[in-house]
Amino acid sequence: MKIFIRLIQSTFIIAALLLSSINSQAQTADEGAQLFNANCTSCHAINEKVVGPALKGAHKKYDEAWLLKWVKNSQALVKSGDAQAVKVYNDNNQSVMTSFTNFTDVQVKSLIAYIKAESEKPATATTASVAGSTTSSTMDATSSNEGLESKINWLIIIISVLLIMIIVLVFDILAKVGDIQGKPVIDWYGINGFLLLGFLVLGMGAATWEFIVHTPLTVNAQTPASEHGVIYDSMFNITLLLTGIVFIITEGLLFWYGFKYRSNAKRKALYYPDNHKLELIWTIIPAIVLTVLVVRGLKTWSSITDRAQAENAQKIEVYGYQFAWNARYAGTDNILGPHDFRKIGVVNALGVDPNNETAKDDIVTNELHFKVGQPVVLKFRAKDVIHSAYLPHFRVQMNVVPGLPTQFTFTPTVTTAQMRVLLGKPNFDYILLCNKICGSAHYRMKMKVVVDTQDEYNKWLGTQPKLASISTPSVSDTKTLAVK
Amino acid sequence: MSNQHSHNDDHGHHDAHGHHEETFISKYVFSMDHKMIAKQFLITGIIMGTLGMAMSLIFRLQLAFPDMKFPFLETILGHWGKDGKLDPNFYLALITIHGTIMVFYVLTAGLSGTFSNLLIPLQVGARDMASPFLNMLSYWFFFMSSCVLCVSLFVEGGPASAGWTVYPPLSALPKAIPGSGTGMTLWLVAIILFIASALLGGVNYITTVLNMRTKGMKMTRLPLTIWAFLITAVLGLLSFPVLLGAGLLLIFDRSFGTSFYLADIPADLAGGIERVGGSPILYQHLFWFLGHPEVYIILLPALGITSEVIATQSRKPIFGYRAMIGSILAIAVLSFIVWGHHMFITGMNPFLGSVFVLGTLIIAVPSAVKTFNYIATLWKGNLHLTPALLFAIGLVSFFISGGLTGLFLGNAALDINLHDTYFVVAHFHLVMGSAAIFGMMSGIYHWFPKMFGKMMNNTLGYAHFWLTFISAYCVFFPMHFMGLAGVPRRYYANTAYDQFNVFVDMNIFITIAAIVGGIAQLFFIYNFFNSIIRGKKTVQNPWKSNTLEWTAPVEKIHGNWPGEIPHVYRWAYDYSKPGADDDFIPQNIPDEGQTDPLDEPNATVFEHSHSHSPEASQKEVVMFSGLKKLFGFAKS
Repeated sequence: MKIFIRLIQSTFIIAALLLSSINSQAQTADEGAQLFNANCTSCHAINEKVVGPALKGAHKKYDEAWLLKWVKNSQALVKSGDAQAVKVYNDNNQSVMTSFTNFTDVQVKSLIAYIKAESEKPATATTASVAGSTTSSTMDATSSNEGLESKINWLIIIISVLLIMIIVLVFDILAKVGDIQGKPVIDWYGINGFLLLGFLVLGMGAATWEFIVHTPLTVNAQTPASEHGVIYDSMFNITLLLTGIVFIITEGLLFWYGFKYRSNAKRKALYYPDNHKLELIWTIIPAIVLTVLVVRGLKTWSSITDRAQAENAQKIEVYGYQFAWNARYAGTDNILGPHDFRKIGVVNALGVDPNNETAKDDIVTNELHFKVGQPVVLKFRAKDVIHSAYLPHFRVQMNVVPGLPTQFTFTPTVTTAQMRVLLGKPNFDYILLCNKICGSAHYRMKMKVVVDTQDEYNKWLGTQPKLASISTPSVSDTKTLAVK
Repeated sequence: MSNQHSHNDDHGHHDAHGHHEETFISKYVFSMDHKMIAKQFLITGIIMGTLGMAMSLIFRLQLAFPDMKFPFLETILGHWGKDGKLDPNFYLALITIHGTIMVFYVLTAGLSGTFSNLLIPLQVGARDMASPFLNMLSYWFFFMSSCVLCVSLFVEGGPASAGWTVYPPLSALPKAIPGSGTGMTLWLVAIILFIASALLGGVNYITTVLNMRTKGMKMTRLPLTIWAFLITAVLGLLSFPVLLGAGLLLIFDRSFGTSFYLADIPADLAGGIERVGGSPILYQHLFWFLGHPEVYIILLPALGITSEVIATQSRKPIFGYRAMIGSILAIAVLSFIVWGHHMFITGMNPFLGSVFVLGTLIIAVPSAVKTFNYIATLWKGNLHLTPALLFAIGLVSFFISGGLTGLFLGNAALDINLHDTYFVVAHFHLVMGSAAIFGMMSGIYHWFPKMFGKMMNNTLGYAHFWLTFISAYCVFFPMHFMGLAGVPRRYYANTAYDQFNVFVDMNIFITIAAIVGGIAQLFFIYNFFNSIIRGKKTVQNPWKSNTLEWTAPVEKIHGNWPGEIPHVYRWAYDYSKPGADDDFIPQNIPDEGQTDPLDEPNATVFEHSHSHSPEASQKEVVMFSGLKKLFGFAKS
């Protein structure tokens, strides 16, 4: 009997242990997912090679102890002559993986757990989730439909090509008949004249449809998130209006004349080689229209680029490298510490002088937060190649050039929360994305941008570690670091 | 190639290069005859164009279906298409080489090389180019350049992948991207050979136009094609050397450890040598100093061809001949002071930006004048809607659509949010890509009889035009909206961005349209080669055109005209002139009582024509006497 009870007891204990371990595994994988999305996605995906290799099955391929060392500082491992490390390094074009010295063992293990969990999922599901897309499940559902659709599309293409060939053949035969009869059977000029007219009507119709349907998808249809965005948009609308009018008139005349004056037996062309008055008119009118655009444009340009704005603006450094962004905040002394590209290393990714007093309270993050209504001047710096910091919702873009500091001053006016309401998208986030070709993972090089109220901003900044305490940033684990 | 070349035995002209024995090699390969060189340029251009187009279809597939696998990619691309997925690095290589091929090899050499070579001697009335030997070299440098570029597709690391503008440091640091290894070196070698070819050609074109016009061919009687080719050659001659310089400095940075374009690059990224003191932006200034005139090097010949085709097929004189020349000159001059509009957001001084805005938007004035003149030429014409005229109308349509979006991009303020997005892609593919290709096509359909002595199949030509025209608009028009939503160009996939996912359907639509456009080009290629072999024989002047090339016999002879070169008595655009029997009067036909070709023709029949009234020609003498002194007169 006792034995029986003990058996039951031990079963329970084992079961409880198992359960709890499964549970904790799920928890760690969750934490790993957060870490992965914040730190790894610009270079890695589970199922596809990005800059770094696909990570599917990495937990099986390498043992945990080795992975811990590798993630924290792969270069040290390579330099120590570790055969496996050297092989991985060479297999991947000798590109240096960013070191995550600030990760704890627990964190790296949670990453491994995440990779394990993801590797065991079926392939399509993981690709979508890595992409960070909230629509992952719907994407899967549609992708099989897409396969079918594309087959149908191909079929349509092939059929229409055959159809065109048959039409061409028929017309060719008719043309030959015309040759034999001595007078043409088909009035080609007539047919093409009508086709030109048809193109004008259908084309203008299609263009109008596009304007109605696709304009809401553009950022111009959204409230600009910055102060200068308003004058930007009005400049844009004026240009659109003027060019739109010219577009309709000129394209209209072009195709209408193409139709109206198509050749027929009766028509004789008018000998009309020039008319100075007319030419003067259509030199002067475009000149006047352009004067309007130039004057307006230059006013807009100079007000956007006005340097006086930068004086009482908050300075934030934005640092770009293959293939991620960092932001650096000045800390309590309101001074960004000096930097030197020679100090850029595996640990000190930004090359900030760690011994300088002004640098010690600097805060390095991989999210960009603004205070609403507070002018900011973004100071751009690049490590390796030219990048371009593009914030479409704010109408802000500036190239980020190695060795050549650039800046952009503007005032964010709409908080993330407000914008989510305005757009009716609860998951909306502003982004900063790279818009200058910079290498294989150019298309993934982005940073989340948040516009906070003063309180939210203070709260967020308070949880960010100071440069003195770490050397490389990690947002997802702010709690652990803050406790430290 | 054609075997239309025949019998130069009994035509009895006495120039230096008419009488040596011709072997297969000297006739078809190392030919010094401008007509053969034109065909060589054209066919090389068509082959390169097919390659460039095929590349665009591959990356369009990737953009439309980023999650799908295409096993055939592995078959044709090997490890770049592993498991049917296009490699992101090779995607960048494809867009780079697509751009390079289209801009330089098709639209510069294929367009300007073909038609400048074919038309300059024939239309100005010369037996050949000023230097047939340099002309031959020009083609063979181009050929070598094409070969080097094609070879670069097969080297380790892949071809150049830094975008067709190859901005350093990306193009200077092999560690930054695999394509910046051997592939980039070969790209630079190819471009340097190409520049040599462009310069040799350009010198020749200019010399021939200025010195070898036939008697009576005043500058003011030149067809607009020749004006366009002349100014194009001047642009090329002034701007290509700058690109050569830029390329050489890039080679130094890449291979010899200098830092012209590199600043603050740590040693481990730059081949073990720390790079300080240079400026990546310097390269951009040098590149665009060529790059912007290059746009007009591409566009002006296409516009010249359009002027000629529209006038001939409308049976009307081109409206505002002088204004057309004036706007070509204005565009050419302005094109040298606007390069900075490609660099508004590089951090340049905002004042400098303003200067570039002003220059850029001013270019719209001569462009508008050209457009209105084309439309005025069509007005009350008698439009023979041949494939050539349709392509010319298509060009004007693209020129308007693409030109107007230039007013957004040329405005520095608006460029902030549009720079490097799909809006730019749409803009330049319409105004430069499609427009220039349409000009080239128009030229091919129009001068095919001159080149090969055969007619092209019209039905296929119409099918080609309509499919291409519609698909080009379907491909590029929707891209404007993607650009306005902030979708950056040169992205391998948009899957990482929620707000770009709404364009999935649009991307699929664009790709299908591109495939249709690609298929349409097969119609053209079939028609082109089939007509060379089996086309109907042409008559001497199938379009009833005025220009001199149609006074030369269909049988191509070295030296162009048997006997004497025709003299020129009038401008090229006497179509439907009141009082004349036909609706055209070729340039070599004198008016009654006009004995000296330099006299103005008897133009009293049409009083509205100011330029041909006696006072006007008096004015002309004053206005152009300077030019005449400058250029000298034609020898016959």
